[in-house]
This record gives sequence, C-alpha cells and structure tokens, in this order.
Amino acid sequence: MTEETFKSNRGVFDAVVFANKQIRQRFYRLGLEFSGDGAAAFAQTRPGQFAEIDLSDVKLPPKEEIAEDLQDSAERKVLLRRPFSFCDVISQRGKTRVEILYCALGPATLRMTTLSAGNSVSVIGPLGNGFQMPADKKTALLVSGGMGAGPLIHLAKAITTEYPQVEVTAFAGAKTKTELPFEKPLDEISRQLGFALHEFAMYAVESQLATDDGSIGYKGFVTDCFSQWLGQQRSLSANDTIIYSCGPEAMLARIAKIAEDKKIDCQVSMERMMACGIGVCQSCAIKCRVEGSDEMVYKLCCKDGPVFDSREVVF
Amino acid sequence: MNETMDISIDFSRLKLANPVFTASGTCGYAEELADFMDVNQLGGFITKSVTVKPRMGNDTPRVVETDSGMLNAIGLANLGLEAFIQEKLPAISKLTVPVFVNVAGETIEDYVAVAQRLATEQAIAGFELNISCPNVAKGGLSFGTDPAQVTEITSAVKQAAGDKILMVKLSPCVTDISVIARAAVEAGADVLSLVNTFTAMVIDIESRKPVLANRTGGLSGPAIKPIAVYMVNKVFNEVTKERGIPILGLGGIRTASDAVEFIIAGATAVAIGTANFVEPNCAVKIIEGIKKYCDGKEIKNIRELIGSLE
Ligand SMILES: Cc1cc2nc3c(=O)[nH]c(=O)nc-3n(C[C@H](O)[C@H](O)[C@H](O)COP(=O)(O)OP(=O)(O)OC[C@H]3O[C@@H](n4cnc5c(N)ncnc54)[C@H](O)[C@@H]3O)c2cc1C
Ligand SMILES: Cc1cc2nc3c(=O)[nH]c(=O)nc-3n(C[C@H](O)[C@H](O)[C@H](O)COP(=O)(O)O)c2cc1C
Ligand code: FES
Repeated sequence: MTEETFKSNRGVFDAVVFANKQIRQRFYRLGLEFSGDGAAAFAQTRPGQFAEIDLSDVKLPPKEEIAEDLQDSAERKVLLRRPFSFCDVISQRGKTRVEILYCALGPATLRMTTLSAGNSVSVIGPLGNGFQMPADKKTALLVSGGMGAGPLIHLAKAITTEYPQVEVTAFAGAKTKTELPFEKPLDEISRQLGFALHEFAMYAVESQLATDDGSIGYKGFVTDCFSQWLGQQRSLSANDTIIYSCGPEAMLARIAKIAEDKKIDCQVSMERMMACGIGVCQSCAIKCRVEGSDEMVYKLCCKDGPVFDSREVVF
Repeated sequence: MNETMDISIDFSRLKLANPVFTASGTCGYAEELADFMDVNQLGGFITKSVTVKPRMGNDTPRVVETDSGMLNAIGLANLGLEAFIQEKLPAISKLTVPVFVNVAGETIEDYVAVAQRLATEQAIAGFELNISCPNVAKGGLSFGTDPAQVTEITSAVKQAAGDKILMVKLSPCVTDISVIARAAVEAGADVLSLVNTFTAMVIDIESRKPVLANRTGGLSGPAIKPIAVYMVNKVFNEVTKERGIPILGLGGIRTASDAVEFIIAGATAVAIGTANFVEPNCAVKIIEGIKKYCDGKEIKNIRELIGSLE
C-alpha cells in the first residue's frame, strides 16, 4: 500500500533461465536467476517455501518428444500459475540463483522443459512458510517421496551450514530406478558407506534410497525403509530428533504415524491445487486439528503452510 | 498519452476514480494484496463473501483448471461477520478506495443480519448481494434463479442497508437473465453486477469421478467472457438503460480490451476475477490500458463509451 514504509520481501518478479537440464526421463532441474528487487526477495528464501511460475506462454516440446501418456494432456492450455519449491538457492553479487527439481507430468511442466538459457519467466514469491530449523535438536531425518526430494535437498544444505552440530540423514523413495529425481545415484561402494545420493553427499549427509520395485536401493516403500532404520537406532533420543518429510500425501500420512508412535517431532510439506498461491482464493485448504480440542479448521496450504506440524494435519 | 486523463465514472450515488474493480473471492479482504498491488488505485474493491457465521467451506480439491478457465467450489469459506469486523475492518477503513462487502447466506435473515450490522460502518461504501453462488447446498444460487425470491431478498436487504449502495450479483445460470435483473432493480437494487460463475463439472476419466470434492463448481476465466459480454448487453438493453441503473460487468476479463468490450456492451464499470491469480497487479494495468484506449480514440469522457454498441 502507498503508505507502506518497509520494503516488501515478496512480489512478482521476472527471472532469467540460466539452466534447464534433463536429469532422468521426465525429471529436470531448472535454474532461474533474479536481479534487483527479485534477487533481494529470493535471497531470503527458506527451505520449503515456494514460488508461483507463469508457464502459460511457454511453448510445448515437439509432439514426437512428448511421452505417449502425456500427449493427450499436453493439448490442454495453461491459464493458472504453478507452484514449485526449490532445491537450492544461492545469492551472490546482487544476483540470486534458485534451482527447481521438477517432473514433466502435465501441460505446464511439459512446457517448462522447453525453457532455455536466456528465456524469461514471471515468478511470484517467495511464498509460504518453510521448515522450522532444528535449533534444539541433535538429529534431523529427511524423508522424501518422488519430487518431494527438492525442498529436502535445500533443507539438508541449510541445516548443515547453519546448524553443523545437527546430524542429518536422508531417505529418498521413488517408484522405480528410471523415476528417480536425482542426477546420479552414487556407486555401490558409496552406497554401502551410507551415501546413496550425490545430492545429499555434497553436504556430507548420509542417504538411503528405496524404490517400490527394488530396481535400485531398498525394495519397498521409503516409509518402510525409514521405519526399519529407525527401529535399529538404539541410541536415538526422540526428544532430540526431528523428522522432515515431503512427498505424496499417503506417504506423509505414514510418516506422521511413525513420528506419532515414536513421539518424534515431525514437519510435513503439503500440496494442494492452488489458484493464487498468496492466500486470497481459499482453494488450497488443509484440514487441521485445533490443539486441545476436537475442533477442526481449514488452514491454507499456500499461506499457513506448505509446511505443517504433522500432529496438526488431519490426513 | 495524457497521463491524467479522466476516466472517472458515476456509480449510483458514488463517483469513482476509474471503472475497474476486483471481483469478490479473488482478492480476499485487500490486506493480502499489499505486496502485489496498490488497492487504492482501483475504482472499487469487493471483499470475499461474508456470512453471519464463519464457514469452513468445502472439502478439497476446491479448484481445477480447464481450457482457458477454472472451476471453483470454495463453498463460501470465510471468517464470519464478527471476525470480519474485528480482524479485517480496521485495515479496510484505512483504504481510500470504496469498499463493497459481498454478502452471502442461507436465509434472507442471514443476508439482512450482515447488511444491518455493517450499514453503519463508515469504512464501507456498499454491499454486493451474492445470490448466485453455485457452490453451497443452501441459499446462494437458489435465491438468484427465482424472480420472486430475488424481489424478496433485495427489498429486505435494501431496507437494512440504509444509505449504502446495494449491488445485486446475478447468476448466469438462468433461462432469461433480464427477468432476474428486472426483479432486482424493481426491488431497489442500485447496481447490478453480472456475471457470477457458470455451474460446471470436470470428470477424472481414470476414476470416473468428478475432480472437485463438491462434484460441481463454478466456471470462471476467459472461457466465459463472450457469454458474459452478451448478458451484460442484454440486461443493459432490456432493463438498466431506461432506468439509469449502472452495471458492473465481469466474467473472464484479462486485458484492457476485454474491459472495454464490457463497457461498450453497457457496463459502467468492470471487475477482474480469475485474472488476478495469474497477474495480481493486472487490474492496475487494465486501468492504464483503458486510458490508452480512450486517448487513442479521442474519447474525452469514458461515459461516451458506456453502452455505445452500434
Ligand atoms: C507448495 C508446492 C510445491 C511444489 N513443488 C514442486 C517441485 O519442486 N517440483 C515439482 O515437480 N512439482 C512441485 N509441485 C507440484 C507442481 O505444482 C505440479 O506438478 C504442477 O502444478 C503440475 O502442473 P501441470 O500442468 O504440468 O500438470 P497438471 O495437469 O496440472 O497436473 C498433473 C497432475 O499433478 C497434480 N497436480 C497439479 N497441480 C498440483 C498441485 N499444486 N499440487 C499437487 N498436485 C498437483 C494433478 O492433480 C495431476 O494429477 C509443488 C506443488 C506445491 C503445492
Ligand atoms: C476462487 C473463486 C472464488 C470466488 N468467490 C466468490 C465469492 O465469495 N462471492 C462471489 O460473489 N463471487 C465469488 N467468485 C466469483 C467471481 O467474483 C466472479 O464473479 C467470477 O469468477 C467471474 O469473473 P472472472 O471470470 O473474472 O473470474 C469467486 C470466483 C473464484 C474464481
Ligand atoms: S492458493 Fe489461493 S488461498 Fe491458497
């Protein structure tokens, strides 16, 4: 508003693409650079926050390059912006570079794959509340499913740099080997040493990998892999531990249950279809408990979340 | 271009700096937009629907995108009258833009209660009566499709509203919108706003279930614009022109030329809904665009444009 004196820390900004790399079938990593006010705003981005990107004017890939099962949905026009979180944010010399790990699964994300260095996109952000940092904890456990890995990679970086005393371990799940949102899982030796994934090893964070079909890593759901591992940790104190999770809702529900059983604090990053992303349309409601009562309320994923305390969410 | 060009309009008993509003439900209660636009640059602001009691709204998914549009079934989720007064009104009273409170309810008494309670609030210029919400089990659309009920609810709220401006928001989901428009005007509506969303459905062909939890939702966005323009023109010709009642035209407006189309069709002012989600500042850009259009066409007074369809 006109009389406002403080400088806004979010807004609508143009970003320039500096990279857009396919890392696997369907999985890509997009790099966006902000200058000026956008750089200042996005430099403050916390892990788990997100941005709304306008992809409506971006062209589709040539038909022959679109996977058979997406040919049909590719025909749909894009009107609304799409929400994405970040896997990395670097601010240097007045510029801020953010990276997004994404999966091409519909009309907007298919368009996203054709962005190339130098293209410009309109971005609203940074939006929502990120993960609460583990200031009073000794152990942080990160559990991701599919694309949920993105914000947890960002979180691994933030915890290891800002809270070096906290020990971080990551667990990542995917359907199958070809649907891993990671560039290069490390070799067998690294895996045996506990560093399955390069993206986490970069921050000296141990990681384990699970695929539903066992084509690589643990065979089964990442929640089972995690729960088995947790069962073996004799010295882990529940009070000193926190779980962070991002992925499909069914997976988050299981993680929330494990956390509740073990009395470990847990934060989950939720997703909803979003029309505005800025708290005005009420489309992204999440049913939540009110502490100390049987009452339920709807909170907004975009404004009150996307990160919630798992005890709060009614799955 | 003449930067100071006057595009002010007479809007019932009000004079507005320009003819561009934001539409109910797409801009919250204004404070949420502080980082994205200067609300005071608008001709008018309309709040999300307010009901007597707080409403949780529908289950999710509440929205789904369609080609050039979207469906919503929010279910009038809002904080309720008392919380609105406590939490939102103080910030609203600091705005210089005229603010209209969109009122919804399940019974006529509900609507009257909200209007009565807010009728004495200085901060509010008027009301927009939402008798056209397709996403609630009771009230909403059922009021807006029956001329006898439109008459009853409009005259009851008109009495409660004191000297505040009363807009009645019409549903396009009727056989002849002029019948409803006439009922509202004859019962005392100062302004008609049209249109609200079109009842619609999207089906997930894998599960064979509707995508929205509410099964149906209201279609908005560019897809509905030509129908909305037609309806504005019809109501203008058949109901409001001879009575000098202004129309607030809306439905799918995204650009200044969209807005100008509505004005030529007979709208005195326009409101921007869905397009705010794509571009939160688009209403301000549209105001500039309208000025540019008028300048280019050497239109001295935007009033010349209203209902100028050949
Ligand atoms: C806070 C938040 C952060 C996100 N971060 C990432 C990210 O880092 N990387 C990434 O690849 N994706 C992320 N997503 C999901 C991403 O927004 C959707 O994949 C994208 O909107 C799909 O658009 P589309 O047009 O390609 O496909 P659509 O046809 O719109 O959707 C394809 C499928 O994805 C589902 N979907 C669409 N939009 C959403 C949504 N907002 N939330 C959940 N499911 C959705 C649809 O139901 C459908 O099944 C995030 C979503 C949210 C809410
Ligand atoms: C998410 C959403 C919420 C809405 N909520 C309301 C509401 O609370 N009350 C109301 O009268 N109209 C509501 N509307 C309808 C709009 O005000 C407007 O009439 C309609 O969307 C058509 O305009 P548009 O195509 O520019 O969006 C809503 C529309 C959308 C998309
Ligand atoms: S997406 Fe609009 S309120 Fe959350």
